[in-house]
Amino acid sequence: MSLYILPKDQLSAFVEALQASFRVVGPTQTETGYAFADIVDPEQLELDYDTTVLPPKKYFLPQREVLFNFHANALEPGTGQLEVEPVFQDVTPTVIFGVHTCDMNGIMLYDKVFAEGFRDEHYMERRDQIYVIGIECLTPCDDASFCKDMGTLTAPPIYDLHMTEVNGSYLLDTGSERGEALLLEYSEAKMAKSEDMQLLGRTLSAKWPHFRHRLKMSRDQTPSLLSLGYDAHIWEDLGERCLACGSCTNVCPTCFCFDVQDELDINMEDGERVRVWDSCQLHEFALVAGGHNFRESKASRVRHRLMRKGKYIKQVHGLLGCTGCGRCERACLVDITIPGTLNALYEEMQLEPGG
Amino acid sequence: MLDATFNLSTTTTPRAFNGHTSIYLPVIATIEDVQVESKLEKVYDVRLPGGENLGHSPGQFVMVSLPGVGEAPISVMSSPSRTHDTFRLCIRNAGDLTNVIHKLERGDRVGIRGPFGRGFPIEVFKGKDVLIAAGGLGIAPARSLIDQIIDNRADFGRLIILYGARNPSELLFRDAMAEWEERDDVEALVTVDRADDTWLGHVGVITRLFEHIQINPYHTVAITVGPPIMYRFVVMELSGKGLTPEQIWMSFERRMKCGVGKCGHCQVNHRYACQEGPAWTYAEALAFEEAL
Amino acid sequence: MSNKPKIAFFDFTSCEGCQLTVIDALQTHLGLLDLVEIVQFREAMTEKGEDYQIAFVEGSCTRKSDEDRLRQIRNQADVVVALGACAHLGGINSMKNRWTIENVQTYVYGQNGKEAYESYPARPISAVVQVDAVIPGCPIDRFEFLRIVQQMLQGRKPKLPDYPLCVECKLAENACLNTLGKPCLGPITRAGCDAICPTYGDGCEGCRGWHPEANFEHMREILRGHGLSEEDIDARFTMFNHYQMEHMGEDSPLKPEAVLSRNEALPSSDFAAPQEAD
Repeated sequence: MSLYILPKDQLSAFVEALQASFRVVGPTQTETGYAFADIVDPEQLELDYDTTVLPPKKYFLPQREVLFNFHANALEPGTGQLEVEPVFQDVTPTVIFGVHTCDMNGIMLYDKVFAEGFRDEHYMERRDQIYVIGIECLTPCDDASFCKDMGTLTAPPIYDLHMTEVNGSYLLDTGSERGEALLLEYSEAKMAKSEDMQLLGRTLSAKWPHFRHRLKMSRDQTPSLLSLGYDAHIWEDLGERCLACGSCTNVCPTCFCFDVQDELDINMEDGERVRVWDSCQLHEFALVAGGHNFRESKASRVRHRLMRKGKYIKQVHGLLGCTGCGRCERACLVDITIPGTLNALYEEMQLEPGG
Repeated sequence: MLDATFNLSTTTTPRAFNGHTSIYLPVIATIEDVQVESKLEKVYDVRLPGGENLGHSPGQFVMVSLPGVGEAPISVMSSPSRTHDTFRLCIRNAGDLTNVIHKLERGDRVGIRGPFGRGFPIEVFKGKDVLIAAGGLGIAPARSLIDQIIDNRADFGRLIILYGARNPSELLFRDAMAEWEERDDVEALVTVDRADDTWLGHVGVITRLFEHIQINPYHTVAITVGPPIMYRFVVMELSGKGLTPEQIWMSFERRMKCGVGKCGHCQVNHRYACQEGPAWTYAEALAFEEAL
Repeated sequence: MSNKPKIAFFDFTSCEGCQLTVIDALQTHLGLLDLVEIVQFREAMTEKGEDYQIAFVEGSCTRKSDEDRLRQIRNQADVVVALGACAHLGGINSMKNRWTIENVQTYVYGQNGKEAYESYPARPISAVVQVDAVIPGCPIDRFEFLRIVQQMLQGRKPKLPDYPLCVECKLAENACLNTLGKPCLGPITRAGCDAICPTYGDGCEGCRGWHPEANFEHMREILRGHGLSEEDIDARFTMFNHYQMEHMGEDSPLKPEAVLSRNEALPSSDFAAPQEAD
């Protein structure tokens, strides 16, 4: 893998060339901020964006995804013919520009979740068609970011290309052979010279002081902190404030829980089984037929989310379930934040070890 | 010493789903027979295409689908020893999907995925006295284990069955229960929370049955299946009889949407009940703050 | 086909916009007519059959004399469905419940209003008869209407989302209006409309009713943050949901001063109250 250089003013030509063969998406300006969206005109691409409401996870696990089509007699289920046909949706080759390092860490976790154990071909087939072009974050998005604490301020090895803006050019690292092929075929990028590398190194090392730490503990301590704090007092307070709106999980780049629903055509015979994003913060999430709810209280649900972020996901997949992107904090109307919660827990555990 | 440390990462090998690779695609199975078991429960004999053997172990479940309505996890009731070209499900009319399933008849079609989950480790139980405490519909997954033991009776020590239901009309498998009570090599006790005029047996919650049995704690494994509320009290009784947490297995009911460890609904701490459960030892459960 | 379920539409105090949405849905989903036979639908047809199994009722009950007609519908139908916010909640009509009925009659109909026009506090139809299913919204969402009809035809109990609007709003990737300084009741309102108002930049007004875990205390806190007075907030909470808030008893999140049926003249309004013709 090698390092290339592309003058900034040649980026549009690169995007335009890609558009002939790919769906190109990236951060674009909206009325109120930025969102990942289809790039129609290369000028729409805003690589200088701060953050987006939804992370690019929506391209990997869409809000609504058809799993299979069925043909059945839904007026009298079971009685007529019953046929099922799997659907692998929307496999247009897609290039995603401008993925921040936090979000690339989210994608890295997704790749593990859907490949490990039972292999989820719906995810994997789409994943194969998505090229990730990352962008190095040189300044924090805003005060809600805590990527430095979560160790997501560097690019994980999932990108096809990774761009860093240096002196009016982009330095592009190739993370995969297909990424390098993409660059060589569709752009005028040249091999970087040694002075470019020197500049890159200087740029990268200069960025760190711009990011601040917000956690009072190291991320390695969060699993044990959460274990100790399972019965802490803070959960009740958080549960009382929580609106149970699920915004925190919907905007989270690592949340992947989904619900499965059947949607029927008006003929009551054809339909689709779909998966849609679900949230552990909603009342029904752990409710079983018969009425028992394993997480009846909002406090237990808020706690479960934090447990997943800071402990459970790591136990299962080896990565923390939080990338420090700050989206849940920006989305929460009652000021429930991950750094705030972990810090409060840390303080409570100092005062009352063991809860 | 009991060896409960079998491989925790064991998961079922995915079946060939109609030759497709989607883990969410059911195979279309046929209902061969329906029997009314009680006011709320019906028993279904289900045949996979070509009469393929389900290949499950006791304690595992399948995802049952009616496309256009939905899908839900259902424990397999038949034992592997009695499962050939059909397998058996005992389904309670308890929700949207099961309400529609209850309208199905012989010859109707359902979608099946699975079997999923880690069943009871029957190899570990061999040579041991086996105590099974089942409450309510928990007798259905327990039945799979009971019949497996009865059909391989020489491989196990005593077989003690404790079964509790809320009232006599909710008792399931009364014929089987009568057979077990007849047998010299099975000790079966039944209780109901509330008796009616017809009931001459034990009255009270299931834990009341424990005073009627004596066990050798060095030589016994206990399996409990029932509503969540039951576990705490049954575990207390079993502990009182000298069983260690490693000797007690329990099956955890959870909401499930995928059955394959992705959708997140069945999570108990960091574990997915659909993968590593639904059967866990009490020792394992103790390590999960969320389990009990 | 003669064994298609017969359905009928009825209206009480309402704008009939929900029935209009049904007509709209019939145009895009003509197949619905293969599934049901419409025997009565004043807004769409002249024939009038009284032999129906499913009754869709739009509008709230605002007169004692309407109760009998509602009961007749209930007696005839196997299934009664409240169609839209007025029938489901009392809706906009229930805003009048903030004042005593005499004040309202005088305000709207002039000095002789009390004698001339019958009225009583607006209420959802469930306050008068048993309701089997609800299609919320002002107006209803056509896709939800179709989905619920399908579920009923399958013999299933229709199911509404039990979570707040924020879920759908986030899935649509809207910027949160509350964070942009615009009051939005999405956090306490039942989802199911695909967050249509916030998607077009208007804050949610709660027309679908509250979700079961609505956190009024912290919703109030959020609205205070927008500079709304306690009275403004109560007005928002009661715009569609006056009847519900009034009947929550001690659990009502309304401030005491807003608890209602005030026996005072209505405040002057920019709207000219209809006057007797001279």
